[in-house]
Amino acid sequence: MKRHWWKALGVIIIFYTIIQGFLGEVPHYFILNETIRNMYFHVTMWFAMIILMLASVIYSVKHLSSGSRISDLKAKELALTGVVLSIAGLLTGSLWAKYTWGAFWVNDAKLNGAAVTFLIYLAYFILRNSVEDEQKKGRLAAVYNIFAFVMMIVFLGILPRMTDSLHPGNGGNPGFDQYDLDARMQMVFRPAVIGWTLIAVWVTTLKIRYHQLLWKKEEMNDELEN
Amino acid sequence: MFLQISEIVKLNFKLEWRKKQSVLAILLYVLTTTYLCFLVFNGSIEKETWNSLYWVVLIFAAIQAAFRSFQNEADRRFLLYFGMVKPQALILGKIIYNFIYLSVIGLFTFLLFLFFMGTEIEDPLAFIVLILLACSGFAAILTFVSGISAKAGDNPALPAILSIPLLFPQVISLSSISIRALTGFSWEINGPIILVLMLLTLVTVLLSYVLFAYLWRD
Repeated sequence: MKRHWWKALGVIIIFYTIIQGFLGEVPHYFILNETIRNMYFHVTMWFAMIILMLASVIYSVKHLSSGSRISDLKAKELALTGVVLSIAGLLTGSLWAKYTWGAFWVNDAKLNGAAVTFLIYLAYFILRNSVEDEQKKGRLAAVYNIFAFVMMIVFLGILPRMTDSLHPGNGGNPGFDQYDLDARMQMVFRPAVIGWTLIAVWVTTLKIRYHQLLWKKEEMNDELEN
Repeated sequence: MFLQISEIVKLNFKLEWRKKQSVLAILLYVLTTTYLCFLVFNGSIEKETWNSLYWVVLIFAAIQAAFRSFQNEADRRFLLYFGMVKPQALILGKIIYNFIYLSVIGLFTFLLFLFFMGTEIEDPLAFIVLILLACSGFAAILTFVSGISAKAGDNPALPAILSIPLLFPQVISLSSISIRALTGFSWEINGPIILVLMLLTLVTVLLSYVLFAYLWRD
């Protein structure tokens, strides 16, 4: 139990944010209305994704410096979970956009950033699958992962600040921090980021253990054959 | 180090000169695509369209051009270089070579666009400066990614899918300010974006410099 407390914490936080996210008090604003609740589910996905991608890059750096097979596996699985989170972020975002902006997709700095992130990580998996040799695959993927992550941070962090965005808080749109009930929303939003990250890490560890079992099985088969 | 870099640049030019058909192929590629755009748009073209078409044509030509840069090296010459040059010198030399190569293609495309779809350009000098900036950024990204895809084997779609998303930040900022070169350019207003573009190039060159050593060793 000592080692697994964070999984329980993740589940409790998610339940808290879902219940509080749907039933709790939110400020009522023109156009946004109740869709403001999407902040708990959409924005948190991107935060959790960035955290996972960062972890993935750290393991890629580890893989380059040590060449260990396990850090490559961790980097890959973290990136994969990150992509799932980004799909969730895209879906929740475009659904929200349909009701507030009137279209599923618009030309907006943050949407371009989201699209570029998604495309970069899909390319990362295609790169992985087009190399046969296990060691070479790990090294090429790690190098591309580091290169792409830096470009993604530039894209998500710098460009939206230089151009206007339709998102709340950009380009003259009121941001959430100006709302009176902001503190109450933060009480749900901040734990939600932690909760989704914990759940995502849990899912990733399950997949890593599954792959390690597969490796073990292969080794045992090899031994039996010998 | 500097000696090695200049030797690599020279060597690449020599090799390119020896088989001229590859340069001519890229120039012909640009010519056909430009003429295709001319035919499709049937002569009537707005400045915005001119601008976006130019960048699309240039990007695809640049990808075609830059992705040959490690093709010869991938198997045989990599081994030959191994004991002779530092990987950092090799990547910097290749980036400089590709920068010159892409600039030639970029300027050639610019002339073709003027010739076939001649729009009045308010500030040609600004547009040329932007082309050179673009080519430096493209060269840094494309050279590095071509190193990756050369090592990854022969997947023909790989170069494009690996590099196009990485080019997005540059292309978006470039096309948004190059349209102003067509309609009237102010260096003061666009200064920050030009600075950001230069920083982007610097970041990519630094990343390639650091990471190429890992690609290199087999």
